Amino acid sequence: MKFNKKFCLGIECTAHTFGVGILDFEGNVYSLINDIFIPKEGGLHPVLIKEQHLTNFISTITKALSQANCSIRDIDLIAFSDSPGLAPVLRVGALIARMLSQKLKIPIVGVNHCIAHIEIGRLMCKIEDPLTLYVSGGNTIVSAFESSKYQIFGETLDLPIGNMLDAFARDAGLTHPGGPKIEKLAQESKKYFPLPYVVKGMDLSFSGLYTASKRLLESDQYGKIYNLTDVAYSVQETCFAMLTEVTERALAHTEKEEVLLTGGVAANKRLQSMIQYISHEHNARFEVVPLKYAGDNGAMIGWTGILRYKAEGGKNISETLIKPKERMDQIAVPWRT
Amino acid sequence: MLCHGGLRIRMHSTIKKEMIIRKGAEANLYYGRWFDKKVIFKYRIPKIYRIEELDKRIRNTRTLNEARALIKVKNYGLNVPQVYDIDTTNSIIVMKFIKGEKLKNKLNNLEDTNKTEIFKNIGSDIATLHMNGHIHGDITTSNIIITKNQKIFFIDFGLHDYSDSIEDKSVDIHLLKRVLISTHGKDYNTCYNAFLKGYKREYTKYNAEECQQIINNIEVIETRGRYVKKEERL
Repeated sequence: MKFNKKFCLGIECTAHTFGVGILDFEGNVYSLINDIFIPKEGGLHPVLIKEQHLTNFISTITKALSQANCSIRDIDLIAFSDSPGLAPVLRVGALIARMLSQKLKIPIVGVNHCIAHIEIGRLMCKIEDPLTLYVSGGNTIVSAFESSKYQIFGETLDLPIGNMLDAFARDAGLTHPGGPKIEKLAQESKKYFPLPYVVKGMDLSFSGLYTASKRLLESDQYGKIYNLTDVAYSVQETCFAMLTEVTERALAHTEKEEVLLTGGVAANKRLQSMIQYISHEHNARFEVVPLKYAGDNGAMIGWTGILRYKAEGGKNISETLIKPKERMDQIAVPWRT
Repeated sequence: MLCHGGLRIRMHSTIKKEMIIRKGAEANLYYGRWFDKKVIFKYRIPKIYRIEELDKRIRNTRTLNEARALIKVKNYGLNVPQVYDIDTTNSIIVMKFIKGEKLKNKLNNLEDTNKTEIFKNIGSDIATLHMNGHIHGDITTSNIIITKNQKIFFIDFGLHDYSDSIEDKSVDIHLLKRVLISTHGKDYNTCYNAFLKGYKREYTKYNAEECQQIINNIEVIETRGRYVKKEERL
């Protein structure tokens, strides 16, 4: 299936997802395979994730190749996630990418995970210059392109939203991932308990909200005058209202005409409706990234890799070090002017 | 002070949709007349996206908070809109109309010396706030108005807070710094340095040691953010 097209294999490996995506240089996706680590108990342990990825990567890549109906020899570019994420996990992704690049003698590029989320959103939703709310287990960022970088207008000062929801779900005895379960529970209640609502300018803080909701679960009254559905409802309403408020502030400040919602938490219908509401209030077009591209996946890494490769060319192996703590507002974005 | 009922009727007769002048993130601004005075109505509109209890709590506290802050801050000689009246049931503040331009839009058309002058003055104004235990909470270039004769007006005290802690004061400055970097990248150095100069000049009169602590603490806050390398943490 070559037809003179060039193909990129993107490897997403920052946290619990080992994702492989194959796409051509025009942005058509041919395969998308995820291998997701699901803990038996507790949260995401970096070493356990790393072990699963190391065990499964060959089969995941093979599956992706057969889904795209091509051979590994057809690949012209390897892209991998080099930042930010859990260091042991990032290292696995980098290792696999370097190995493939050297073995196949094809160029390699490292990609920032957060920028990849925005770029795949722009591609899939055919959106030009959005204000992005990126909400996931590891990140909570309000970003827009300004003075040649993806600037961060607002972000969490402590816990990311998905992390907070998962931790709360764990305390409530729900299994990982907690977000969808909380969404379902919250639909069954209309009883609101006031929880800390912390917005500082366009930044957010969720740690107080987490502690307060945990206290609600530990209280004597729990199970008597209120139950888990009520707490889930209160948590969800409070933290989503905070997210919506900062997004609206950023929207009023940047005066962008498009709003993009992405990341794993973007799957939540309640959050979608809230962000949609404020987008319409400000006459901005609202788009949610299609679910399979909103969560972590290999296609977004592949696509951003293609953009970077077209602008800067491939990297030397010595330039493919992982950067677990890199901030997206520090990175040059040569493909956008 | 008029009773709320009476005021509400008056307000509803003056606020008309075509008179809206600005749609902010949390409030709409309307032109209007109040006892034949040209005024601004700042109306914190109900946000249907959040549930009513939460919405009421947020709008109510912020309206009261803002009105109180505007009145108090005026005593320290800062330029803020004069508050004429408030309506807590509907979350409306009636205040003086300030004719001028948002600093955000004006900044690009200014000479460098002018920028320095303005940010020095902003710095010393914010220092005055901080010295007296007030935190603005949302210092952005959208919340500063420059009038024709170069007077600096501060608006939007909805996130205002009372605090004497070094931490809160540094966070306040940190927020401005973030806005300058993200929105005014190429002017950031000129503006921020001028701001600090003005801030130091004013705050040092009150407490030089504390001033230095506040400024040092800004860096600490930055390194506390997400994705900062361990060895760079302070």
